[in-house]
Amino acid sequence: MNLPTALESPGARRADAALAVRLEDVSVRYRVPREHIATLKERAIRQLQRRVQFDEFWALRNVNVEVRRGEVLGIIGRNGAGKSTLLKVIARVLRPTTGSVWLRGRVAPLLEFGAGFHPELTGRENVFLNGALLGFSRAEMEAKFKHIVDFAELWDFIDAPLRTYSSGMVARLGFAVATDVNPDILIVDEILGVGDAEFQQKSADRIHGFLRSGATILLVSHSLDAIRNLCNRAIWLDNGRIVAGGTADQVIDAYLGSVAAREETRLAQEQAQPVQQDRWGSGEVEIADVRFIDARGQARHVFSTGEPMTARIRYHAKTRVDKPVFGIAIYRGDGIHVNGPNTRFADFDIDWIEGDGEIDYAIEHLPLLEGSYDFSVAIYDYACVHPYDHQHRLYKFLVQRGSVKENYGLVYLPAHWEHRRT
Amino acid sequence: MPDCQIMYLRNQRKLSKIATVKMAIQSVKAIEPLVYDSTRPRIAILEDAVELFRYRDLLWSLVQRDLTVRYKRSVLGFLWTMLNPLFTMLVLTIVFSALFHMAVENFAVYLLAGLLLWNFFSAGTTMAMSNLVWGGGLLNKIYVPKSIFVVSAIFVNLVNLLLALVPLALIMLVTGQRFSPALSFLPIAILLTFFFALGVALCVAALAVFFVDVIDIYQVGLMILSYLTPIIYPISIVPDRFRFFIHLNPMYYFVELFRQPIYQGTLPELGLVARAALAAVVSLVVGWWFFTRKADEFAYRA
Repeated sequence: MNLPTALESPGARRADAALAVRLEDVSVRYRVPREHIATLKERAIRQLQRRVQFDEFWALRNVNVEVRRGEVLGIIGRNGAGKSTLLKVIARVLRPTTGSVWLRGRVAPLLEFGAGFHPELTGRENVFLNGALLGFSRAEMEAKFKHIVDFAELWDFIDAPLRTYSSGMVARLGFAVATDVNPDILIVDEILGVGDAEFQQKSADRIHGFLRSGATILLVSHSLDAIRNLCNRAIWLDNGRIVAGGTADQVIDAYLGSVAAREETRLAQEQAQPVQQDRWGSGEVEIADVRFIDARGQARHVFSTGEPMTARIRYHAKTRVDKPVFGIAIYRGDGIHVNGPNTRFADFDIDWIEGDGEIDYAIEHLPLLEGSYDFSVAIYDYACVHPYDHQHRLYKFLVQRGSVKENYGLVYLPAHWEHRRT
Repeated sequence: MPDCQIMYLRNQRKLSKIATVKMAIQSVKAIEPLVYDSTRPRIAILEDAVELFRYRDLLWSLVQRDLTVRYKRSVLGFLWTMLNPLFTMLVLTIVFSALFHMAVENFAVYLLAGLLLWNFFSAGTTMAMSNLVWGGGLLNKIYVPKSIFVVSAIFVNLVNLLLALVPLALIMLVTGQRFSPALSFLPIAILLTFFFALGVALCVAALAVFFVDVIDIYQVGLMILSYLTPIIYPISIVPDRFRFFIHLNPMYYFVELFRQPIYQGTLPELGLVARAALAAVVSLVVGWWFFTRKADEFAYRA
């Protein structure tokens, strides 16, 4: 008989000293009554009629995650993908419907700042109440108190009721209490900037301090830059399942790929129904369509900074038109006019057109940075005063981050740096 | 082999429950490092009690908050705790002794003693419900032992009861009521009522999280129960054939336990104490069991 001793299996799991968090097959199910039954009376009647029906909603499904000590794990995904539920399960707020959560160490959940703050209590009383809610003893809070108020810079108001505080002051106090910890495991839902610019700097410094201190961190953020910069590893959640896991770069690239694919479908659908009001002209020549072509000759709507992009404009001229001028314009989504070239500026003369044809506007290296852009096309007479067909901002394309790492401003200018010590 | 397997599983369950108890005891002593394992076989009843003890500082903070907030903006502050029952007593005394010629000697003391204990029970249980339902926003944001909101409500009202003993003593002085040595029984009476109220509060508060109208239904129930409790009338006016209903009402025992030392100056008889103690224990065990069984679901509801 070779039965394992009773405590071996859980004991063996705990033995891995390098492990901080382990989620095994974690699922969380919300049962939403199909009809809202908030009263006992109604519920009793329904129960008797056996008509209580629930819609099941799985916020998490079979999630397996292991985080080693000192690791920084990023969690990305769309809104409603289950990111916050995952954090709540780890923070013990929710007990998983099935599966197991195991973790070792003191957890500091930065999910909610100023939980339980009461407007009638003074700042001092609120600090102690909030600290107690976070699980600190009275003695611990007394030791921390000075440090907390120093950090929040609220000594002048600490004995005034919280209702007299500005919202920024409340946020500062909440942040100061919640982060005045020395946790083994830190759970962060967005690195929230609270207060003014100076305090935001201080709070960012504090979060970065946790990173340097070697704490295990689980970070949810919509800022992919933050995840890329801070995390060793990342997981991508969609509809409660882990779609991808690996190094932060791998996971983010996969995620961006899927975002691009989705945007692609959306834009393709949008452009299937052109809007007529932003179009004018006498109509001798008509623009049939505009497509954006990538390096492989495929039509796309999503491009990366730095890659080739060709706008291919198909037209139909009902009669012979002499010396037409083709022009395009690019606008950023917020209305900034990026450029507006035409064939005449480029001394690219077209003697005449008749019937069908197409014209390419080819960009060798797309210099535009991440964002959504509108595209206008027009055909004018040689004097550029008479429009045959003008389609104003009717076409759209997106630019996402590619190999170019810049992300401030509008364009990437091909340039290089040099340095000399003189 | 299957038999053996079952035996093994049973043993494993038993053993790991023992391990749970050991770990629970350890976690009281050493808060860090904590290990949280959601699959560890749990004895929810025990574990939540341990957690409650670990968060005792939060309990005092919540009690303090409720007491401070309540009287913060009023000029008289804590005096209201004492003035409130005084005014109620004054009105009821006038109405019942002057208009209805209630044949109770020193009606003011009789009434006030019953009223204070009843208020402790009814206000405590009601506050526990609203604490958990309206303060429940916290439950799906941070981890705290959920029973703490209920326990703190009962504690707040216990403090109010203790404060209200001052005006009661004043009335006793003014009306020439004898202060008997039997008064030393009061702590036991209050303690038993405390446990009974806590048990009831745990039950109704857990229900109220799921069904909001429990709060309203409970108010109706309280009203009926208050008429079934001899507070403004003496039990002697109840016809014999209805006494049975009053004896079914546990609040009758607790009121008697509390009022006899004050009003009659005698110790309550042992049978009464035993029945009250039984009611308190049953209420607490059932309430705690029901609450801890449901507590994990609260965060899903809030």
